[in-house]
Amino acid sequence: MSLGYVKEYDVVVVGAGNAGLMAAVNLQKQGKRTLLVEQHNLPGGCASSFVRGRFEFDPSLHELSGIGSAESPGNVRMMFKDLGLDIGWKKVDDCFRAISTFSDGTPMDITVPSGREEFVRYMESQVPGCTERIERLFELFDEISEGLDFFSNKDKYDVKFAIKHFPNMLVVGSHNTKTVFKALRIPQKCIDILATYWSYLGVDLEHLSFLHYAVMLRSYLQEGAYIPTFTSHELSVALEDKFRELGGEIWFNCKAQSFLFEKDRVCGVRTAYGDVKCDFAVANINEDIVYGKMIPKEHVPLRMKLLSSARKQRFGARMFTVHIGLDATAEELGIKDYSIFMMGTADSAKEYKEMMKGFAQNPFSIFLCYNIANPSISPEGTSMCSFTTFCSPEDWDKLSSEDYHEFKTKCAEKLIKQLKDKTGIDLSGHIEEIIVATPWTFARYLGTPEGAVYGHETADWDDIISRTMQMNKDYPIKGLRPVGAGGPRGDGYSSAYMCGELGARMVMKDLQELKEAK
Amino acid sequence: MDKKIKIGKISMLDMLKFKNLPSRRDKVISKAEPKDIKADFPINNNAKVLHPVIQKMVIENIIDHEKAGAKTFELKTQDGSPAAWFRAGQYVSIKMNIGESYVTRPYSVSSSPKLTNQGRLAITVKTTPGGFTSDHLIRNAKVGDQINISGAEGNFYYERLRDQRNVVAIAGGSGITPFLSMASAIRDGIEDFNLTILFGSRTEDSILFKAQLDAICKATDKVKVVHVLSDEQKDGYEHGFISADLIRKYAPEDFSLFVCGPEGLYRFMDGEVEKLGLPKRLVRKEILGVSRNVTAGEDFPKEALGKTFQVKVIQGPCEYDITAVSEENLLVAFERAGITAPSRCRSGECGWCRSKLLSGSVYVPQQNDGRRHMDKETNHIHPCASFPLSDIIVEVPRGDTAE
Repeated sequence: MSLGYVKEYDVVVVGAGNAGLMAAVNLQKQGKRTLLVEQHNLPGGCASSFVRGRFEFDPSLHELSGIGSAESPGNVRMMFKDLGLDIGWKKVDDCFRAISTFSDGTPMDITVPSGREEFVRYMESQVPGCTERIERLFELFDEISEGLDFFSNKDKYDVKFAIKHFPNMLVVGSHNTKTVFKALRIPQKCIDILATYWSYLGVDLEHLSFLHYAVMLRSYLQEGAYIPTFTSHELSVALEDKFRELGGEIWFNCKAQSFLFEKDRVCGVRTAYGDVKCDFAVANINEDIVYGKMIPKEHVPLRMKLLSSARKQRFGARMFTVHIGLDATAEELGIKDYSIFMMGTADSAKEYKEMMKGFAQNPFSIFLCYNIANPSISPEGTSMCSFTTFCSPEDWDKLSSEDYHEFKTKCAEKLIKQLKDKTGIDLSGHIEEIIVATPWTFARYLGTPEGAVYGHETADWDDIISRTMQMNKDYPIKGLRPVGAGGPRGDGYSSAYMCGELGARMVMKDLQELKEAK
Repeated sequence: MDKKIKIGKISMLDMLKFKNLPSRRDKVISKAEPKDIKADFPINNNAKVLHPVIQKMVIENIIDHEKAGAKTFELKTQDGSPAAWFRAGQYVSIKMNIGESYVTRPYSVSSSPKLTNQGRLAITVKTTPGGFTSDHLIRNAKVGDQINISGAEGNFYYERLRDQRNVVAIAGGSGITPFLSMASAIRDGIEDFNLTILFGSRTEDSILFKAQLDAICKATDKVKVVHVLSDEQKDGYEHGFISADLIRKYAPEDFSLFVCGPEGLYRFMDGEVEKLGLPKRLVRKEILGVSRNVTAGEDFPKEALGKTFQVKVIQGPCEYDITAVSEENLLVAFERAGITAPSRCRSGECGWCRSKLLSGSVYVPQQNDGRRHMDKETNHIHPCASFPLSDIIVEVPRGDTAE
C-alpha cells in the first residue's frame, strides 16, 4: 500500500443511493474488492424509511416499474432475484385515479385500471372507437421496449439490424411524446388520460422523449406497479446486507470530499477517514457536484464543463412531500384509491409552467394511501398517506430558517384542503403524525443540488435516448464513473438500479482492459 | 410483430433524425459557453444553516438553581454567528470529552428560538444519581468553557396540523425546559397556541424558573402555569401528583397533552392519561434517555446480569476491542472507550446511531425499540438502546465531528 492511504480497494463507490448500492453489490459479486462510502448513516438515499410513533413512513416511493409478476418478471424483479434477494413485492391494483380537466374543458375524474386488456377496454369505454389506435400504440410500445433492450446490451448501434427489426422505433425515436401522440392520431381525450403519468418523469409531454415515456407507461400498464412490503428501506437494507455478505465494506456517516488523481486517472478517494486508494471510483452523485466540487479544476474535462453549461443547471424535480399517519382506516376516511393525481389541467406543459410559478399557484399534487395496496403497512385501525408535489427553487431559495416552518406548514395545509375540496376526503381530526419534507429536507439528507431528486432534467436534446447513445463521450475521466438519477437511464428507482448495474458492467470492462494493458 | 403501424406526419426521414440524435446533442453541448461548474446552491446552504452537524459554543453564563439541584448553561456561538434555529421544544445533543471518555447527551433547549439570532441558546442540567455527564457539567463546567452541540433535533414541538390549539403540558422538575421554551416562543410571537402548564415540583423553593414563568404569564394570556407541590403544603398551590382529575380541572375543552419529566412521571401519567380517554394522537411524550432500571425489566435475561462482554467495534478503517457490561447500553460502552459514535436522542428513537450487529446478541427494551421493521429483522441495532447479552462484533458509523 502506498504511503498516506488508509486503505486500498479495487473499487470505491461513493454514495449508497439506489444506483450506488446496485453498482457496489454487482462489483463485489464479480470479485472486485469494493468499498461503499455514504455520507448519511443509512443506505438507499431516497429509498429509505423513518419511524414516527407507531408509523414507519416511506420518504419517496410511490410505485416501482420493472417488477412484474413472479411468473412474468420484469427486469428489476430479476435484478434482485439474481442477487438472491427475496423482496416482498405487493401489487398496486389500479393504475391511478386522476382528477383534472380534459383539454376540451370538461371535468375529468377517472380511475384507470392496470393490465393491458383492462386498460384498452377502459379507454374504449371513455372514448368509443379508440380501441384499434390504442392497441397499435401498445404494439409500438412493445417494439420500443424490445428495441431499447437490444440497444442497451450492445456497445454499438447496428443500424441495419435496427431498421429491420425496430423500424417504427427509429421513426418516432427523435420526437417528443406530444408530437408522436398527434402523429398517431390518438384522440385528444385518450392523450389527456395517457398523459397523467408524465409527472413521474418530471418532464412535460412537449419536452419528454416518446421512447422514454413509452417504456415507462408500458411497464406500469402492462406489468403493473409494485411496492415492497416494508417500505423502500426493505430494498436498501437487502442490498446493504447482500453487499456485506459478499465481503464488501461500508463506511456510513462518512463524506467523500474529493477524487484523487494519478496523472489523468482517478486513483483514490479522499474521505472523512482519510485517503483510500482504488483502481476505479463510482460516484452515485449528481454530476455537477462531482465535476464542480470533487475534482481538481485542472482535471475537469472541457466536455463536462460544456455539458453542465448546456444543461443550465436545470435539475429534475424538487419534491415537496407530506407524510401522514392517521388514527382511522382508509375505509373510515372514505379512501378507495391508492393514488389520486390532482391536476389543474391535462395539458402537461401548461401544468408544469403553473407549478414552477410557486406554491401558491401550483395546482398539482398526488395523494397516496399506502394501505390500499398494502393493508398491513400501518397498525390496525390506522392508515398512512402522503402528498407529493413539485416545487420551483425560487420558493425555497430566499426563505430564512425563521420563516421556513410557517411556510412549509401553509403549503401542507393547502394540500390537505385541496384534497377535501376535490374528493371530500377529510383528514383533519385524525392526524396522529405528520411530517413535511421540502427541498431543504432532501438537500439535507441527499446533498443533491437544490435538493432535486431527479438528476438533470431528461428533456429535449438531453433525453435518455440521446444520453444512452453518447455514453462513451459523457464519461471522459479514466477511472471514474458517475451513476444515478443524472445518468443515461434518467430518474426513478428502476432507472437508478439499472444505471448502477450498467455502471458496474462498464467498470468491469474498464478494469479488464486496464489489466490487459498492464 | 406487426410492422405496419401507420404513423401520420412523421416520415421515414425521421430515421435519419434518430440516427442523428447524438450529433444533435453534441451540437447543443459544443455551443454552450465553457465555464467552471457551480456546485453551491442556496437551498443546500439553507439546509446546512438550519441543520448543522456541530455548533461550536462557549458557556457565556451559568445560573445555579441550587435548591433544585440544577444549573442552566447559557451558551453562545464561539464566532458570534447566529445559532441554528429550532422549534420550541426541540433538543440539542451536547458533545464533549471527559477524561478518556467522549460523551454526548441530549438536552431540551430552554430558551426562546428568538435568541438564536444573537447566537444564544440555553440548556438546563439537573444532577441525577449516577449521572456521569450531568455531574461533570454541574461540578466542573465554568464560564468560558467551549462546548460542541448538534443542531436542533427531535419532534417534541407544537404542530398545528396535528395538535389542538390548546395544549396542556405536564412537566416534572427539569422537564419544564421544553415548555419554558414554548412559553417564551408564544410570548415572542413565534408560536401561536394556548399553553397550560401543570408543573410538578417538590417544594416551593425548588421550583425551576418560577420568576421567568411568572413574567411570561404576565406578558401573555396564552400561557398559564399551575404549580403542583409534592412534598410541601402551601397556600396558593396544588398538591400531590398531577392526576387526571387535576388535568380536568385546568384543561380547556379540547386539548393536546404534552408530557416531559423524569421516568416516574411517565409511569404515573400513563395511568392518568388512560383515565382521560384521550386518543394517541393527542398525547405526546418527550423521552430523552433509556430507563436506568432496564435490567430490572421482566423480559431482561437474568443470566446476563452483572456480566462483562468483549465487544469488537468496526468503524470505517478502524477496529477497537473494548468491554461492555450488560447493565449499560452499547453507546455508553463506546463512549467510555473514547469512541466517537453517532448519537442524538439516546432513547432508541431517532436512529442516528443505527449500527450493524455482525455477531452476538443484545437486549432491546421494547419501549425504546424505535427501529425500522426491516432493521429489526436484519440485526441492525440502535446502540443507545441495546444492552449486550454476549460477546459481540458491531459495525458502527463514523461519529459526528465538526467539518
